[in-house]
Amino acid sequence: MIGLQDVANGVMLGATIGLGAVGLTLTYSILGFANFAHGELITGGAYAALTLFWLLAATVGWGVGHFGALSFGAPFLVVLAAAMLLTAALAIGLEQALFRPLRRRGTQIVLVIASFGASLALRSLITFVWGPEPQYYTREISIAREVLPGVRVTADQLFVLALTTGLMLALHLLLTRTTLGRAMRAASENPALLALTGIDPAAVARWTCLIGGGLAAVAGVFLGLTVQVRPLLGFELLLPLFAAVILGGVGSVYGALAGSLVIGLAEALSVPLVGAEYRAAVAFVVLLAVLVIRPAGIAGGRE
Amino acid sequence: MGGHLTVGGDLTVTSATLTVRDLVAGYERGLPIVRGVSLEVARGEILALLGPNGAGKSTLVRAIARLVPIESGRVLLDGVDVTARPAHRLVRDGVGLVPQTENVFTHMTVEDHLALAAAAVERKERRARIAAVYELFPDLAAQRRLAAGRLSGGQRQMVALARALVPAPRVLLLDEPSAGLAPRLVEAILARLRDARALGVTIVLVEQNTRAALAVADRGCVLVEGRLRLVAAASELAGNAEVARLYLGSSEAAR
Amino acid sequence: MIGDVFAYLVFFLVIALTYALACLGLNLQWGFTGLFNVGVAGFVAVGAYTSAILTAPANPERLGGVAWPIAAGWVGAALATGAVALGVGLVTMRFRHDYLAISTFGIAVTIQLLATNLVGLTGGPFGIHGVPRPFADVVASPLGRNVVYLVVVVVLVGAVYAGLERLVRSPWGRVLRGLREDEAAAAALGKSPATFRLQAFTIGAMVMGLAGAVYAHFVGFVAPEDFLPILTFQVWTMLVVGGAGNNRGAVVGALVVWALWSASGGALAAILPHALQARGAALQTVLIGAGLAAVLLVRPRGLCGEETVVSPHAVAE
Repeated sequence: MIGLQDVANGVMLGATIGLGAVGLTLTYSILGFANFAHGELITGGAYAALTLFWLLAATVGWGVGHFGALSFGAPFLVVLAAAMLLTAALAIGLEQALFRPLRRRGTQIVLVIASFGASLALRSLITFVWGPEPQYYTREISIAREVLPGVRVTADQLFVLALTTGLMLALHLLLTRTTLGRAMRAASENPALLALTGIDPAAVARWTCLIGGGLAAVAGVFLGLTVQVRPLLGFELLLPLFAAVILGGVGSVYGALAGSLVIGLAEALSVPLVGAEYRAAVAFVVLLAVLVIRPAGIAGGRE
Repeated sequence: MGGHLTVGGDLTVTSATLTVRDLVAGYERGLPIVRGVSLEVARGEILALLGPNGAGKSTLVRAIARLVPIESGRVLLDGVDVTARPAHRLVRDGVGLVPQTENVFTHMTVEDHLALAAAAVERKERRARIAAVYELFPDLAAQRRLAAGRLSGGQRQMVALARALVPAPRVLLLDEPSAGLAPRLVEAILARLRDARALGVTIVLVEQNTRAALAVADRGCVLVEGRLRLVAAASELAGNAEVARLYLGSSEAAR
Repeated sequence: MIGDVFAYLVFFLVIALTYALACLGLNLQWGFTGLFNVGVAGFVAVGAYTSAILTAPANPERLGGVAWPIAAGWVGAALATGAVALGVGLVTMRFRHDYLAISTFGIAVTIQLLATNLVGLTGGPFGIHGVPRPFADVVASPLGRNVVYLVVVVVLVGAVYAGLERLVRSPWGRVLRGLREDEAAAAALGKSPATFRLQAFTIGAMVMGLAGAVYAHFVGFVAPEDFLPILTFQVWTMLVVGGAGNNRGAVVGALVVWALWSASGGALAAILPHALQARGAALQTVLIGAGLAAVLLVRPRGLCGEETVVSPHAVAE
């Protein structure tokens, strides 16, 4: 039976997918191709945090910390920020070393193949270095409390929700009030015209990678915190991410958020019906439906 | 027959704001559309770039703005060689291009367009520049919150032109600004160009509408199949039989 | 010693040629028709599982047990994969390139999910065992059986190659090529692009399904982990290295890349300390991934492919 708990789970899942989808929709429209390696940015962020914790523990003796009901404390936030920077660097690195040179030579398809290969290579590298077994940031468990009748959430999950909302607000302000934000919106429509306006599209692309990578890292770290850290973490989100992005309309941040919520709810609400194993398939069905009925997505018009 | 017909005006160097020398350019290497064009435009001059379809007029100005690859030749701005600079850098150097199509961001407001263009200007000048442009285009000031996609064709052209004028360019390149516009709007655009010239802007105007172009230009030149065939004062070119012959004599459909 | 080398060579060639089949299928879809299929592994899986289900001995926990002859299994594999491709294609043929890529990727993920979870049909995570070998009762030695298999595969690849070459030079093939060059013109001639694409997609998929069946009957079992995205990536790398748009390139690419893959595997096994051996396979992927990136940057047309034309409207940067 579908209950409010499923809805709550759906919203949580939607928030996590949203962090990834917003970054993906920006890079998809501004960099001009479907980046299959975006999942690995999420995974990379999770593992970057894992490594940093390990380093902190080994050198300074810090643990994850503890903020009241949360299963983590100040050190976690420091590590989160650092992981965001590292993942942003990875994203920019991929763009400069791989996608930029390829863009000059060929079509969008070459970029997609390359991103698929990069995704595989990164996933394999992570498996090689850290091993395939699931790992955890902390042995602390966040207790689930009842916040509404029949709905239990952990403090960690509420924090994720709050942080996601905050980040989206910040992104909104960036896109509407700053030069970079305007340049990004312009680049997603017409990079050549942006150059004519006096702004370097390549610089905008790098900033977009930075933002996309940073948001992906947050998604990865929180998945790592609330579930576990493993090599397939981000890859398994790829299909839901694309579904959310396309549902919302490629290039639309608000569309990506709405799409993520829909996908999150669809997946969570389908678990009682088809079982948890087929969650990715649910996202896929939604994706196909959107592509057949209205390929431009909710926000539409921006192809 | 061919060659240059120069009437009045000295085509030697120095005082020219924009100099193009033996420019060869095209989208694909080895298949040039512009085949060795040289011209000079003096400060505050309006030069009309005429010629039949496919002559390469559009490609020429796009090459100057660096949207089309330059195979060989030079572009000089007040004597400084800017051939190697990328498009966005040229804007900061003082070259503005108003393309023929896709010249506005349909999802962004008029305000956004001007704010974006102002990024190329020094911070303390920005507000002043935007205000100055709104003065030139009072209609746009009234519509500043509207998305460009919601505006009519004529208003969009105004946005595109206004956007290019924000950084107070030295040279303004326009690619068929009157295309698809009603005569009244064409007049309005040309009036803006005169205003801009009064502010000291040098203008190169690509136009299919010969009459309108020559009405506002100081000099004109005719491009045929990638080469300059005729350069003269506008008054000489208007109604000139040679011009008509060049248009009709080319393999493309003439106007 | 020579015997070992020979045995390895036979094994190597069977696998390489099986990949070549999948590569030929992808070449028809991508090289000749421009269809961006990122779900190759899924179609190979359908073929492999179909043939396995049709020919493997009965198992009470699983549907099947009809124990058909192998040839029938292979035909069934091709048909089943064709049917899946037809279904997928009817929905997706009009999508633009990147949406097709994402959709086919989704198909492969879904097929893998089904393979893992429909235990009653596919044997779940453990898969299906006891997939029969051709001529198993006639030839006794394992090496002998491999050699026989190699002969079968060579004949099969040769036949498919010849068939595809015929196909692309036929009037049908010419229309296909015309579609790739200029869709509007082809449409003006009254040819429906979507129909032709669907046909190419389906035939290509059938060849991939056949490759899956060939693999299944060589190895003797199928399991979901045999059809992961890495398989898609390997086949794409082979096609890119060999040269898309060229059937010879597909086969050459398969042989070359499989050789590199095997060599790198051997080298890593020799270099890596014992504790890291299991993880070594992961490093292979990194190497091959880097290799693909290098090919794309340095020689995008591959070994046998034609010169590609850069878009005339590339913006100068």
